[in-house]
Amino acid sequence: MSARTESRPDGGRVLRALLYAALILFAIYYLLPLYVMLANSVKPLEEIRQGNMMALPQVLTFEPWAQAWSEAKVGVAATGLKPYFWNSIKMVVPAVIIVTILGALNGYVLTKYTFRGANILFGMMLLGCFIPFQIALIPAARVLGFLGIAGTTWGLVLVHTAYGLGFATLFFRNYYAAFPTELIRAARIDGAGFFTIFFRILLPSSGPIIVVTVIWLFTNIWNDFLFGVSFGDFDSQPMTVALNNLVSSSGGVKEYNVHFAGAILAALPTLIVYIVSGRYFVRGLMSGAVKG
Amino acid sequence: MGSLEIDSLDKSYGAAKVLKDINIEIEEGGFLVLVGPSGCGKSTLLNSIAGLEDITGGEIRIAGKKVNDLAPADRDIAMVFQSYALYPNMTVRGNIAFGMEIRKIPKAERDEAVHRVATLLQIEDLLDRKPSQLSGGQRQRVAMGRALVREPQVFLFDEPLSNLDAKLRVDMRTEIKKLHQRLGATIVYVTHDQIEAMTLATKIAVLKGGVLQQAGTPAEIYNNPVNTFVAEFMGSPSMNLIPAQAGQGPNGPTLSIARKAGDPLVLPAPEAVAAYAGRGVLLGLRPEAITDEEAADRNARVVETASCRIDVLEPSGADTYCTTDLGGKDVIGRLRADAPIRQGEDATLAFNLDKAVIFDPDSGERIA
Ligand SMILES: Nc1ncnc2c1ncn2[C@@H]1O[C@H](COP(=O)(O)OP(=O)(O)OP(=O)(O)O)[C@@H](O)[C@H]1O
Ligand SMILES: [Mg+2]
Repeated sequence: MSARTESRPDGGRVLRALLYAALILFAIYYLLPLYVMLANSVKPLEEIRQGNMMALPQVLTFEPWAQAWSEAKVGVAATGLKPYFWNSIKMVVPAVIIVTILGALNGYVLTKYTFRGANILFGMMLLGCFIPFQIALIPAARVLGFLGIAGTTWGLVLVHTAYGLGFATLFFRNYYAAFPTELIRAARIDGAGFFTIFFRILLPSSGPIIVVTVIWLFTNIWNDFLFGVSFGDFDSQPMTVALNNLVSSSGGVKEYNVHFAGAILAALPTLIVYIVSGRYFVRGLMSGAVKG
Repeated sequence: MGSLEIDSLDKSYGAAKVLKDINIEIEEGGFLVLVGPSGCGKSTLLNSIAGLEDITGGEIRIAGKKVNDLAPADRDIAMVFQSYALYPNMTVRGNIAFGMEIRKIPKAERDEAVHRVATLLQIEDLLDRKPSQLSGGQRQRVAMGRALVREPQVFLFDEPLSNLDAKLRVDMRTEIKKLHQRLGATIVYVTHDQIEAMTLATKIAVLKGGVLQQAGTPAEIYNNPVNTFVAEFMGSPSMNLIPAQAGQGPNGPTLSIARKAGDPLVLPAPEAVAAYAGRGVLLGLRPEAITDEEAADRNARVVETASCRIDVLEPSGADTYCTTDLGGKDVIGRLRADAPIRQGEDATLAFNLDKAVIFDPDSGERIA
């Protein structure tokens, strides 16, 4: 690509300029909502009421952020989003860890310790990914009730584990399918057992796909609303549900600046996860794509 | 008692029989090379010996001990893979020491063993590198180091040199041969390369479609193939199989071979051909048994000469290969480079019939 543009400098430069213009335009388009949220979250409410959502703040204030975090009314109690933020963390972190480990083990078994019916089992797991959440709500509620963990964080962890496992297995299975079987055989001859091979040989080479899986799971579980609102209790409801309550429960005036700050707070963890490991995300997806 | 004995081994994948009643024995310090066309079951046989594949029937014994039900690690074997299979996340040192680490051998002992093997293979400088920082030949050495450090009863090699370029392959071949002589180890070695097979082996086993065709020393396989498959498979250019008519002459059985022009060529044949009188057979002659007159083997007992039309001449440096039509087939002979023979003309060729082998054309089995 670059070699071709260099060999025809004039046409190439015009083309490149157009390309960049288009890319910048798209970037602006996608960044605009973020800008609006950021700008308005640091304005006093009066300034927003004057009408210009696009303007930069004239008076900079972090009061809305403080309010959204620890003072605003969420539902009935004026707790801010803070307790729910921790609810989400307590739900997401165990779920992501459990699903990633199980997904990796599944992928390992499905590719390197295959057994009769492995493909059918895998097909059924994949099918699980595509069952709409709504259909599973009532059975899930029954199961949680039966296990006595309805309304708890662990109940939510279980539901998300069940839902995340299909995709996590898919990711790891495809990644490990390209992993040389001879390496596993060499390790077996060296005397390594099932778990030694997994932890010493397979996992150290799984960096990219672990990143992909973690980002995918973290984003999905953090952003989930339906399970949270269905199975969450006061002390287990995640951030997304609280944000909804925050926006819909403020009695008289709509405090847009607080809402914006709350929305950013709710989106922040997934953003951070992506920014920190996004490079590996793309790389992991690419390596999967190339190796099939 | 051999170092490795394979007794009526059967192996199926579901309904597909991949290995059928294999019997091979290799003595201590022997070098067994498995050859055969792609998909004939060489790797499967090797993996069965290693215990990486379960066998369907038969018995495998290593140093007299039945190993059918032992895990690969407990069979006293080590394996070198075609892709080298070095653990990518470990250093060379880690790779070589991994097996010992699993077996909980103390660190000092491990270091000493790694050092010993590294010195033997001249890879001391590479010990702290990752496999990705090594060349193909270096990886090959490390893979051998990982096998050597175990000091096993039997070494298994699955096409270890096939990923190397031609020059390196020849070097490593010599190195493996030296190593074998120095260590006196028992080796089972899979290859596609006939020269590798001929130069390394003390015993060659030729497989086809999961059936062992012949096992024997390289000379036996080369000079006395049991059937046309083995005859054509080993040697390059491969053995000529000339259609001939068996007959009875005044001095015993004869073979008569049709020529494009002129009378058929009539050659004396061994006594066993008598039973085939009046029927077609295949006369097997390697190119080096068909020469110009001066190059004929003076120690041979039966050398026949005949005038043949030379269709093609292919100089290859040391020798010149010629093609002539016998029995309706292109037959290749090997001439001295300076033999006064020209393409498209008749020339006198010498046939060394000491080296002749004769096959049944229907079954492909050896008659004489
Ligand atoms: N896991 C398997 N399931 C079913 N069939 C198999 C399996 N592995 C190998 N085979 C079949 O067994 C036969 C022997 O395979 P093998 O790998 O031993 O051949 P090979 O002689 O090593 O060939 P190559 O020279 O190409 O390496 C082939 O026909 C192959 O298709
Ligand atoms: Mg093979």
